[in-house]
Amino acid sequence: MNSRNINYPARLLEEFKASFLKDLRSYVRYPAWMVGEFISTPLWFFFFALGVTLFAPVASQPANGNGLSTGMGYFFFGFVFIILFSTSVWGVGQSVRNEQEAGTLEQFFLAPANRATLILGRWARIFLTDSLIIAYTTVLLYYLGGAVVSVLNPVMFLLGLGLYEVSLIGFGLFMAGLTMRIKAYNSIGNLIFFGYMILTGALFPISVLPRPVLDFAMLLPFTYLNDIMRHAALGTPLILPETLEYVVAILAAVGLMVFGFVAFNRIEHDARVRGSIATS
Amino acid sequence: MQTSTGLRSDIRALAAIFSKGLKHHLRYPGEFLLFLLLPFLFTFLILGMGTAVAGANAASYFAIRTGTTNIVIYEILGGAVWMISWLVVEDVGTAIRDEQIKGTLEQNFLAPVRRFTLLVGLSLTDVVITSLLFLVVVGVSVAVVMPGSILTIIPAFLALLLGLIPLFGIGFLFAGFVVRFKEPYIFTQIVSLVFATLTGTYYPVTFLPYWIQLLSGALPQTYVIEDMRRIVIANQTLVNLYGSLFVLLALALVYPVLGYAVFRRIERRAGVTGEFSKY
Repeated sequence: MNSRNINYPARLLEEFKASFLKDLRSYVRYPAWMVGEFISTPLWFFFFALGVTLFAPVASQPANGNGLSTGMGYFFFGFVFIILFSTSVWGVGQSVRNEQEAGTLEQFFLAPANRATLILGRWARIFLTDSLIIAYTTVLLYYLGGAVVSVLNPVMFLLGLGLYEVSLIGFGLFMAGLTMRIKAYNSIGNLIFFGYMILTGALFPISVLPRPVLDFAMLLPFTYLNDIMRHAALGTPLILPETLEYVVAILAAVGLMVFGFVAFNRIEHDARVRGSIATS
Repeated sequence: MQTSTGLRSDIRALAAIFSKGLKHHLRYPGEFLLFLLLPFLFTFLILGMGTAVAGANAASYFAIRTGTTNIVIYEILGGAVWMISWLVVEDVGTAIRDEQIKGTLEQNFLAPVRRFTLLVGLSLTDVVITSLLFLVVVGVSVAVVMPGSILTIIPAFLALLLGLIPLFGIGFLFAGFVVRFKEPYIFTQIVSLVFATLTGTYYPVTFLPYWIQLLSGALPQTYVIEDMRRIVIANQTLVNLYGSLFVLLALALVYPVLGYAVFRRIERRAGVTGEFSKY
């Protein structure tokens, strides 16, 4: 019993590694998707960036001498947040659906492995490829527009990113559970995704939103997570006093993680009872 | 004995394909709803980001570059044409692949119906769907933002109808590529994004480098978006826009012929190599 407990973390690590490698293999097996992702993601950014340029002051000067104007910096980090957020909706959330469609979900759930490792392995693979795409877009931005992306406070930015990723795993677990419950996952996923873009200050400050919508935006955990990361990167003003905002962000991250685990386990248990694990 | 050739049988086949396509769209209303919502969503996002960048002066900076302060209509027109083009490319381009995946392609190709009729039938469904999309997205926006100009949507719609012909030609071309290379969905996304970037969806094409503008000039959406903006925002008539309408007419001849020729070539090759049964 003791040796089992001692080996438990090592076993979890093995499961995680296996899940990560499985997802990576599956990813590189479809090169068209891979190449497509590397082309389409920066294209979304440049396309919208050109649209936003119409509004820029006519003799716009770069801020902080870093080659990227404050407005475009705001937009660039918004683009990063959106890519990362899509991980939880289309990556982690979709993982259960993919196994369902491939007909391998039952085998996986019957294996003596932790359910969360499937999801964490997929998250890790997506985090890796997303980071590559963001890095590649940053380099493209430099070569095409001469703009250098810099982060004012890298330590606080990494802290924010860590909290953000914890939240994404939690939220992704909830979304993964949702795929076992509802058929119209794509429609719900789209709604959540677009809601995130508008309501959490990813692409523009929430102060632009009208009053009742602004109040709702203030209730969303991702609003604060976006806000602290952008503050660390660009020095933009925070919504709340600094200490309070970090406390809120930490609570939001931990809360979302706990909520995600509880929701996933409950939905999975419910689906087992109803026999609907592979049928939603 | 019923004849499988001739105008009457073509019309019957067209009606059947049209009705099947329409049923498909009615059965999955969520997809269409998304196409209806996206132009509004993207316009709102661009407006929000623009306001964040320029604050109270956003409209004046926008006007310096576009010649209008009517940001909503300017962006909605571009967004609507983008969604229409996305829908056409996705529908016409991936229809063959969908049939392949469902295992019904062989039955369709063995039916005594010409391939051209099959592709035109798919396009006819899209004429109805895209018209609906135009009326809801553009009609509602113009009615709310500039009600006095509501009648301008009629000539704008005519410009769109003309632009749909070369767009369907691009769809035929795309259908051929999908048979050859598979992976229609990522292909659709990339092509639609490239179109959006090149055709001035949310900015004038003059914003792009000169050599890219040459590519923009080969795409029908560039002219449709520009003509619609001139008609609705600048109150111009179709007669004033004869130059770009003439180009659209020329593209309407070139793309369907080119698209169909490429499709037939790839299809024949696929018949020889057994490509149709590969997934």
